[in-house]
Amino acid sequence: MSSLIWLQAGGCSGDTMALLCAEQPDITEFIKQTGLELLWHPSLSSKSPAAFQREIDEIAKGGRELTVLCVEGSIETGPNGTGYYDTIFGRPKSELIRALSLAAAYVVAVGTCASFGGVTAAYPNPTDATGLQFRQYNPGGLFDSGWRAKSGLPVVNISGCPAHPQTVVGVLGMLLKNRPLDLNQWNMPSEYYQTLVHQGCTRNEYHEYDAEETQFGHEGCLFFNLGCQGPLTLATCNSQLWNQRSSKTRAGVPCLGCTMPDFPRAAPLFSTEKVGEVPVILPLGVSRPNYMAYKGLAQAAAPERIANRRMKP
Amino acid sequence: MAKKIRLNLNRVEGDLELELSLGGGRVEDAWCIGTLYRGFEQIMINRAPMDSLAITPRVCGICGTAHLMSAVHALEKAFSIPVPPNATRIRNLCLMAEEVQSDCRQTFLMFCIDLCHPAYAALPGFPETLEAFEELKGRIYRQTVQHSKKILEIVALFGGQWPHSSYMVPGGVTALPSLRPIGEAESIVETFISWYEEAVLGGTLEAWLEVRTAEDFEAWISEPSRAASALAVFTRACRAIGLHQVGAGVGLYLSYGAHPEPEKWMPPYTERACLRSPGLFDASDGSFHPFDQALIAEDISHSWYHDRQEAPKHPFLSETLPKYKPDGDRYTWAKAPRYGGRAVQTGPLAQFLVLGDPLIHSLLKQHGASAWLRQLVRFHRPVSTLLAMRDILRELASPALSSGPYILPARLGEEGEGFGLVEAARGSLGHWVRIKEGRVAKYQIVAPTTWNASPRDRQGRRGHWEESLIGLPVESEENPLLVGHVIRSHDPCLVCTVHFVQSGRSFRFGG
Repeated sequence: MSSLIWLQAGGCSGDTMALLCAEQPDITEFIKQTGLELLWHPSLSSKSPAAFQREIDEIAKGGRELTVLCVEGSIETGPNGTGYYDTIFGRPKSELIRALSLAAAYVVAVGTCASFGGVTAAYPNPTDATGLQFRQYNPGGLFDSGWRAKSGLPVVNISGCPAHPQTVVGVLGMLLKNRPLDLNQWNMPSEYYQTLVHQGCTRNEYHEYDAEETQFGHEGCLFFNLGCQGPLTLATCNSQLWNQRSSKTRAGVPCLGCTMPDFPRAAPLFSTEKVGEVPVILPLGVSRPNYMAYKGLAQAAAPERIANRRMKP
Repeated sequence: MAKKIRLNLNRVEGDLELELSLGGGRVEDAWCIGTLYRGFEQIMINRAPMDSLAITPRVCGICGTAHLMSAVHALEKAFSIPVPPNATRIRNLCLMAEEVQSDCRQTFLMFCIDLCHPAYAALPGFPETLEAFEELKGRIYRQTVQHSKKILEIVALFGGQWPHSSYMVPGGVTALPSLRPIGEAESIVETFISWYEEAVLGGTLEAWLEVRTAEDFEAWISEPSRAASALAVFTRACRAIGLHQVGAGVGLYLSYGAHPEPEKWMPPYTERACLRSPGLFDASDGSFHPFDQALIAEDISHSWYHDRQEAPKHPFLSETLPKYKPDGDRYTWAKAPRYGGRAVQTGPLAQFLVLGDPLIHSLLKQHGASAWLRQLVRFHRPVSTLLAMRDILRELASPALSSGPYILPARLGEEGEGFGLVEAARGSLGHWVRIKEGRVAKYQIVAPTTWNASPRDRQGRRGHWEESLIGLPVESEENPLLVGHVIRSHDPCLVCTVHFVQSGRSFRFGG
């Protein structure tokens, strides 16, 4: 029987709350279908913390197997390297995470905080927070970059603020069924992170024809002025909708790039830095000269229905 | 001599430790200690003011919509930015969806599973309690997982996703006026209402509204056809344990007022015309008092912060500068907010006492405040909330309103200060922001759990949770069930309590 422990560190429980919104399977079905024993979840378990403490000891001593350790929230290493900004049973939570990581076949960072540091590690990083195996784009966090769990995999990063619930149940399902899991350079599973948020955005035509918005509450593209990171962000938000219904960009909210290691970036989040008419940072992999040429043509080629915002996103 | 024990508590969204002093098998004194510090207010300094719409919802994964609403209200207040009535309708609708979600998940996923503890196996009705509420397996538990996520689809329809979107922006909401999401949302509300009537209440919302006294309530739950309703099973289980007699806490109830009235919500935002009115209710003499945000002050006499004057300060003046000082009578880094110098409790019970709800006042007269009554309001509140959601959607679809606008052009100035006060699902939430040279110069958040879980103040008076535990029987030192029931009846959210940091006692223990 597979077993899973979920720990929450420096975070907001948002990944758990998002996970409660998973469909096909929802969490109760997921547990049933995978035959999973949920040993501990701080928001869901009725077990007492004291009973959990005894189980931890048993697992750490090798008396009991642990298949998956999920960590939500960043690892707070402050103040002064003590880890006492976030404790459990009177000890830094990082100690518990370390002990259980050594015992687990798979270690999974759920959400951007656990993967890369996330909001908790945003400047000036008051708690000296880090991800499990990365600090933003830099390899090495609580564990150095060469660390491997018992299965041979590094920490699997299911980033996102919050992590998309369908990605979480999808990746956990692959691990529990022993399916091969290809990881990208930031240890995010390629199955779910080889898609841009831009793919499937219902404002795509406005982007193609360079129909730019400068104010919220309109139909056009949010990339050029309002800070949208959709063309730069690896996630399934527009190909697997949120809450089965929509996505931020569909609702007129710029993508904030929340799956990426540098989230939240220091620059103002709701505006696009530009040189002249052109954003400083272009869609993923696009060269500046090509983009300049394309942009001029695109605007000129825009059909009237796009220029006049006739199409509903 | 009194014995001290230290307890960890889960299912409180974040981490909580309690230190209890026991004598004669009862709690003689209590200290509340959060064990997580996150520093959001420091992260906001020097950022673009709009960034608060992305950063502060991430304080909390359960009530991010409430934080978003507080943040956008603070900016609109600071720069006198008007909001079209339809935007207020959509904001209210989304916050209501989050509130209904939170009330149901808190009740059935966080609170009721404790009623299934094996220690209660000999109590009458235990098999029915288990059938309804058992963790992951119970009938109502599983239905709650299903239905709580459906109601949140309304937030996604207008805001893109739940949790953590930023669709409320100064001047309105980002969604475009359209009848399509309104029709879909109506269907979601009606499906939810059907479940709620059948499984939770055992009767229609309209019939429930006629339940206005403690006697009406008795009649409702003793009706045999309703025996399997969540409300009846819950009430029988709580009474068998005695939860209607414990956990009153301080007798002063605070509400900032919930869901502003769309047509009256406009600059300078001094009048708080709300669907659920703001105010203070004093249970000692049954008196009602108007709400004044100037009376809020943060006391840090028992908390480890840099403080030059030691006097309680209004959030505009207070600072969040952690400083560890192991000696003396400071025992936590939680701040102690006080209203007019007094400890208060906040949450749905406070909200409904402040607005003068007849049923809740009648039940208060019957047995006083208790863990059960606090939890019962979370069965009662969704009724009026769901009906209000139905009304909002009907208004939004009406020919006069359906074309919008949902937003007005808005510009933030370079200098200003404002505050945003809302009722999150678990109580009164406030953001205070000061902007200088176009950047955030100061950001302070006082969350509901900060009020409820506050430590002692300068006069040595306990915070509300600490007070609510005094005298409670402790049957098991490893897992005192009554303590858990009382604390969880507050729908605690420790991740929201942004000021909490590790207590000094554990600091010495570990270091």
